[in-house]
Amino acid sequence: MAVLSVSELNRTVRLILESDPLLQEVAVRGELSNVHLHSSGHVYFSLRDERASVRAVMFRSRAEHLAFRPENGQDVLCQGRVSLFERDGAYQIYVDTMEPAGVGAQYLALVQLRERLEKEGLFAAERKRALPLLPHRIGVVTSPTGAAVRDIITVARRRHPGVSLLIAPVLVQGAGAPDSIVGALGELAQRDDIDLVIIGRGGGSKEDLGAFNDERVVRAVATFPVPTVAAVGHEVDLTLVDFAADRRAATPSAAAELAVPVTRELLTQVGALAGALLRSERLRILRRREALLALTNRRVFLRPMTLIEPHQALLARLEEAMSRAAVERLLTTKGHVLAVIGRLEGLSPLATLRRGYAIVEVGGRPARRARDLGIGQRVRTTLAEGTFGSVVEDVQE
Amino acid sequence: MTFEEAVKRLEEIVKELESDDLTLEKSLALFEEGVALSKTCQELLEGAEGAIEKLAGGRVEPFEETEGEA
Repeated sequence: MAVLSVSELNRTVRLILESDPLLQEVAVRGELSNVHLHSSGHVYFSLRDERASVRAVMFRSRAEHLAFRPENGQDVLCQGRVSLFERDGAYQIYVDTMEPAGVGAQYLALVQLRERLEKEGLFAAERKRALPLLPHRIGVVTSPTGAAVRDIITVARRRHPGVSLLIAPVLVQGAGAPDSIVGALGELAQRDDIDLVIIGRGGGSKEDLGAFNDERVVRAVATFPVPTVAAVGHEVDLTLVDFAADRRAATPSAAAELAVPVTRELLTQVGALAGALLRSERLRILRRREALLALTNRRVFLRPMTLIEPHQALLARLEEAMSRAAVERLLTTKGHVLAVIGRLEGLSPLATLRRGYAIVEVGGRPARRARDLGIGQRVRTTLAEGTFGSVVEDVQE
Repeated sequence: MTFEEAVKRLEEIVKELESDDLTLEKSLALFEEGVALSKTCQELLEGAEGAIEKLAGGRVEPFEETEGEA
């Protein structure tokens, strides 16, 4: 008799198992036990009945297609092949597909509902709306207690302190949950101050997801007037609400991250635009000034005021813009915008006044047209330093 | 005006200002509008802290953050 090493024995048994066509395509029904959802994505478990048990593994590539979360005690139907794990000398089922068998009717109903709604186009990619760039007020449909609502508040505020949240407290599980969620969505849908809705549930793996597969809830999400983010399912147990929402996230925190931008980044964008604005306008003013100088140097104009006048108007209007509290504030706030807006100072009419131009005001308003002035009218003239009052003697239009 | 609308308009204005065939009046008007829009955007981004509220029987009430810890 030949003496085999343990490795040789195990390999021989494995090859025998794998050479049996019956074992390479098996369907086994049993109860799940020792379920271990490994961080690698592989799912390890045993299948058992009253008298026996067998080890099984479902690799990530297969497990990620699971329509439900495997849990101990569930009655399931597995398909796969039988082989031996040589290291342990243990034979096991390498599972390709797994479906709940015990809740057969319920599961079938869910699959059918999903197919029906899919056919209707409720989950279609072209229905998906873009989320607002900067939401002002977000409706949050979730349980008012637990980690989900807290996580959403914390993350949203950290990213954009100006965002408002309107929490619509609902039951997320139990018989009353669908009514509760549909009611809350209906109430939010009637408001005109919500520009985004997050619908989520708290953590915990044992929660009943039934409400998020309820047809009325799914429809309410799909047809909601503003974009929706779902934070209901996890990696392995997506619900129909996840498919119906415009975006879905793995956790409530991730939903808040999707929904709320980091304002710092947007400030940079606005700052860049403000910078471009200033550059273009400054360029234009320089061009105009050169054109004006070219004209004045020719000394051929008869009525110099008509040439200078538009530029006085420009100065006046610039000063008006500059002196507005708005611009003042823009100039004194911190951040990226400040750096760019600060260049506005380069456009200050004061700089221009220092070159000898003047601003004429009548009744506190800049005078733009000579014809608006009356002989004898008092006007105030602002120079680079100081002002003086005078009376109009003659007007030439 | 939403943030998107403001940014979009601001982008249009910058583009328009960069073109050459503008009257002085027009370019100044655009510039002023642009400055106002920059301010609007900035206010939307850096405005007052938002409210955390909840719906309670058709009314809106403050949401106490300790509520989430129950």
